Amino acid sequence: MTAVAALVQVLGGLALAPLLPGTVQSLKARLQGRRGPSPLQPYRELRRLWGKSAADPQPTTLLYRLAPCLVAAATVLALLLVPIAGRAPDWSLGNDALVLVGLLALGRFALSLASWDTGSGFALMGSGRDLTFAVFAEPLLLLTIVVAALPAASTDLVAMGAAAGGSGPWGEPAHWCGAAAFALVVLVETGRQPIDNPDTHLELTMIHEGPLLEYAGRDLALLEWSAAARHWIVLVLAVELFGPHWGGFWEQLGWLALGLVVLCAALAATETAQAKMRILRAPGLMAGGCALALVGLASALVGGLV
Amino acid sequence: MSPSHTAGFARQATETVAVAPVGWRDACLGELDRGGRFCGAYAVGAGAGRRWNALFADGEATRMLSLEVGEGEAVPTIVDLLPGADWDEREAHDLHGLDFAGRESLRPLVAHTAATGSWTVPVSGEGTYQVAVGPIHAGVIESGHFRFHVVGERILHLDPRLFYKHRGLQRAAEGASPERGLAFAQRACGACAVANSVAYALACEAALGLVADREARRGRTLLLELERLYNHLNDIAQICAGVGFAPGNMAFAALKERALRLNAELVGHRFLFGTVAIGAGPEVSAARADALRGALRELGEDAASAWRELSFAASVQARLGGVGVLSAEDAAALGAVGPAARAAGIALDCRSTSPGLWYGSSFAPAAPARPSGDVGARLEVRGVELPATLELLQELLAEPIGAGGSDPGPADPRGVARVESPRGETVCAVELTVARRLGRVHLRTGSYANWPALAHATADNLLPDFPLINKSFELCYACADR
Repeated sequence: MTAVAALVQVLGGLALAPLLPGTVQSLKARLQGRRGPSPLQPYRELRRLWGKSAADPQPTTLLYRLAPCLVAAATVLALLLVPIAGRAPDWSLGNDALVLVGLLALGRFALSLASWDTGSGFALMGSGRDLTFAVFAEPLLLLTIVVAALPAASTDLVAMGAAAGGSGPWGEPAHWCGAAAFALVVLVETGRQPIDNPDTHLELTMIHEGPLLEYAGRDLALLEWSAAARHWIVLVLAVELFGPHWGGFWEQLGWLALGLVVLCAALAATETAQAKMRILRAPGLMAGGCALALVGLASALVGGLV
Repeated sequence: MSPSHTAGFARQATETVAVAPVGWRDACLGELDRGGRFCGAYAVGAGAGRRWNALFADGEATRMLSLEVGEGEAVPTIVDLLPGADWDEREAHDLHGLDFAGRESLRPLVAHTAATGSWTVPVSGEGTYQVAVGPIHAGVIESGHFRFHVVGERILHLDPRLFYKHRGLQRAAEGASPERGLAFAQRACGACAVANSVAYALACEAALGLVADREARRGRTLLLELERLYNHLNDIAQICAGVGFAPGNMAFAALKERALRLNAELVGHRFLFGTVAIGAGPEVSAARADALRGALRELGEDAASAWRELSFAASVQARLGGVGVLSAEDAAALGAVGPAARAAGIALDCRSTSPGLWYGSSFAPAAPARPSGDVGARLEVRGVELPATLELLQELLAEPIGAGGSDPGPADPRGVARVESPRGETVCAVELTVARRLGRVHLRTGSYANWPALAHATADNLLPDFPLINKSFELCYACADR
């Protein structure tokens, strides 16, 4: 069963990840009354980009050249940390949630350096906004992880997933607060409305798209894949840590698949119903998420004392 | 609606006053004191005998101050009295070689110079930088370059640079017959084709001594309102797209498409091209009028329900208030027109002073409930004008429109007409030669008048809000690049 978990972890992360944003886009188009692309569209995009040569703006240095590989490598490592259906193969990396936070931050950092390297206004603006948001998004992610870690008394993702299983956690207010706060984490990390508009072509409003503007070909393919893999990581985590799941490995695998579909539909519905926020209000929303997680934390601590 | 002007000379009268250079500024001030509103200035001719004409609107009348500019002479500027004349003076400098005395700078407008510093306003300070957008944009947008002077995410100043696709249409039309010139006026812009053509046709008729009869006036008003209908629907859809609100965007884009198809059914062209003629109007049979009324009634009901949904979309409404504010004082000083001016609380709508068209004496400019001059108010003006336009269309189509013609009237070698386009007052001035050929055609569209106001309203806003502010004005590039 661990072997199956390993298979889902690696193949799922590498090969199935693009299906998630593809599904969201496809569902969103239906909700908006358009025919829209097929859920397989991201694969076509990746194949197209992979067949093209990369272009380097001048003058750029090694930072710009290495950034896509660094981002992709950090994302692959992050993938290997996330357990599947409560199981995690031993890659000698451990499954520490804090390492995962660090790896996601590393990807963001590498891309920001590359934006700085190009000196392009739009890339810099995008990563400037991304880094500003990160000031609020990273504490939010950390706090929700702490909320999930308390019942497990560990930041090991396998233990956290096990502690979140069954019906027990749903009697705790902390779990509800954590789940609501993690919903915000999903919106921020996947770069979706109301935080960011993934469909925009308006350079002035871009956040996550901005740093990608200068890249082409295989570099862009790596970055696009990494963005899709980030969808996979946060959505799998959302199901594993805050989604309902019962039973043994196979049941949990079923719950995971179901959870991913439901979350994709929820993302599509949110993007359809919500306009993009004014940019300076997004940190407020994330701060609200942090407050919610803190309330959960306090309730867990008080509950623990009583 | 009961148009009060059924009598003979139903058209905008133009009165020309020749002014000497010394008295130019005083004459312009005098016009303002008399209640005149600056609505454009243009140069005529080259070398000796050049003239510089300024137009002032006063109710239904238009007055023209005309100044003869000798060789090597400079025109006293009026830009300090009338900031709205800035573009007119800069354009005349670029295209007609006119010099203006008393201006601090005459930055190139139409002529594109290489050095950025030559056409931008210098902005300096700690942490200020420039962001350049365009002229090539992602998406289907015309060519325009926007240079933002920014500190952090806040815009300090915006220098727009248009005229990338300046086609010299006005110059090309010179020497043609008035009928042939219609094609040039129409092709200035796709989305304002009717407004531009009607303004041109009215100006030509004034110069030729023709007065459009009742049927022609009704037909032209029908076309103008059909154009406003699809433009307003489009503008609302664009504002929804600007905040990433897909349901609103899709709903209004679909309504716009329906309006375009109705246009095609009625006249054979989605954008109503080729429907305006000098001394004639379009004909609409009773059957067509009935069919169109029915279709428009359905469209109106759907538009009303889409508008209601948009009004209750909290995430959209949260984006609109306090963004891109154009105060009433600034709007008046910069000569803003159309929905942009009305959103700021200025009751200015050319339709209430258009005797050459079929708007009743009871026509009143639309007023938003809260004339705050922001994106929300500009959206609301369109929301208020949509039902009014649909109602006008119903009244116009209540009876068939016969083949329009024209009656003889007083001729004047200079004809000026003002027409309310979806984006504001469009002014067309036509001067004919003795041989009744076009000597000079000047088209100053609502977009042209509003571009400086847009740039002004952008200052002190956040950079990511600019696309939204831009879409709330929804100005044409082609109308300026004529």
